[in-house]
Amino acid sequence: MQQWLTKQVHNIVSWARRKSPWILHFNSGGCNGCDIEILDLLTPRYDVERLGILKEASPRHADILICTGPVTRQSRDRLRQIYEQIPEPKWVVAVGSCSCSGGVFQGGHNILGGVENVLPVDIYIPGCPCRPEAIIDGLAQLLETIT
Amino acid sequence: MALINLLFFPGFTFLFMCALFFEWLDRRIIARFQERVGPPWFQPLADFIKLLAKEDIVPSGAHAKAAALLPMFSLTAVLTAGLYVPVGNVVTASFEGDLIVVLFLLSLPALGYFLAGWTSVGVYSLIGGHRSLLQYFSYEVPFLMAVASPAILSGSWRIASIAAYQSQTTWGALMQPLGFILAIIGLIGKLKRDPLDIPKAKSEVVAGSLTDFSGRKIALWHLSIYIQTVVGIFLLVNLFLGGSSHQSLFVALPIFGLKALGILILLSMISVLYARLRIDQLANLGWRVLAPLALIQLLVTIWSGG
Ligand code: SF4
Repeated sequence: MQQWLTKQVHNIVSWARRKSPWILHFNSGGCNGCDIEILDLLTPRYDVERLGILKEASPRHADILICTGPVTRQSRDRLRQIYEQIPEPKWVVAVGSCSCSGGVFQGGHNILGGVENVLPVDIYIPGCPCRPEAIIDGLAQLLETIT
Repeated sequence: MALINLLFFPGFTFLFMCALFFEWLDRRIIARFQERVGPPWFQPLADFIKLLAKEDIVPSGAHAKAAALLPMFSLTAVLTAGLYVPVGNVVTASFEGDLIVVLFLLSLPALGYFLAGWTSVGVYSLIGGHRSLLQYFSYEVPFLMAVASPAILSGSWRIASIAAYQSQTTWGALMQPLGFILAIIGLIGKLKRDPLDIPKAKSEVVAGSLTDFSGRKIALWHLSIYIQTVVGIFLLVNLFLGGSSHQSLFVALPIFGLKALGILILLSMISVLYARLRIDQLANLGWRVLAPLALIQLLVTIWSGG
């Protein structure tokens, strides 16, 4: 009985997590191309609020950290700090070739490479810049893994 | 019977459902006006459950007890206010002067919001808290004067008798259009809704006083703000749209609901139409325009033989 109840509560909570992912967006040194594509998601054409996605301004309210751009030496600590401010459970999405691998900035004197060098990344969405459809698809795939 | 009133109708459960429904409708209407689709119907519930199940962080340096108590304090205040506001023809608790009690209880969350900013550590919370207090001083005086005029007109400070008086004569919004407009503006300021969301402006102060809260504290804050919306709208329906005092509950309740939805749609349209004011603009507007207009409304009501 107790086991069954725990399972039901767990199911309800993971349903709520799948249906209400709030995102926080951080650019750690990209060219701003991917950031504009992320803002596209909020426009009438793509409107991700129908999936329950809201763009939050404070890391304390967010569930998913969306990173764009390569990690630079200067932004590394801030990126880590922002990640630590997000309450558990949290997920990280790397959007754009830069944050997947360093992209065109690879090998620069101040570049550490992709986001994976600093944070545990849950899903990679390549593209330079990646299309809004690709970002929505990636987010949907990430949400499916939440059980 | 009292327990049923308290817990189910028109107590906690009813107000909770109304809060979720109003939040969904509000977001949906705003989305439709912006040519978007908007969230599905269960969105507020999913948000609420998710926030309840999230980790609860208290930043070091913040006042942990105050952070935990303040959202409950605000929620309690608005839920208590909800008990004194008649819904349809159901009057749970009522006495001569309950209008003043409701107005007092509805303004307590402003104090809670300010203290929440004051006791946390971030600068954004501090600025948000200060702005909320400044905003409070700008909208509250015209709001109180506007809400006092129907009471003076009907000669009673009991919400139920004001509504009954209006269902015999005509709507307060027709007799005192100026007072109605001022009350709507005051309500927008009270709820920190869009043209007057100065204390929590995303692009200026992140999330105001609530910046550093997470998990269930945010859930309770959201809930208390939306229950405040519901109670505030119900109050205005009683004071300016004549409430609904039909004999049968099944006629009175839909009429009351339609009036409440009318005000909600009005609020959503206003938040789509207007851009945010600056805090100094609001202070100017409040004291140079709204307060004198409210005074005129009050004097006209008194002289016209209330
Ligand atoms: S992936 Fe391309 S568009 Fe995106 S930040 Fe890097 S260089 Fe700019």
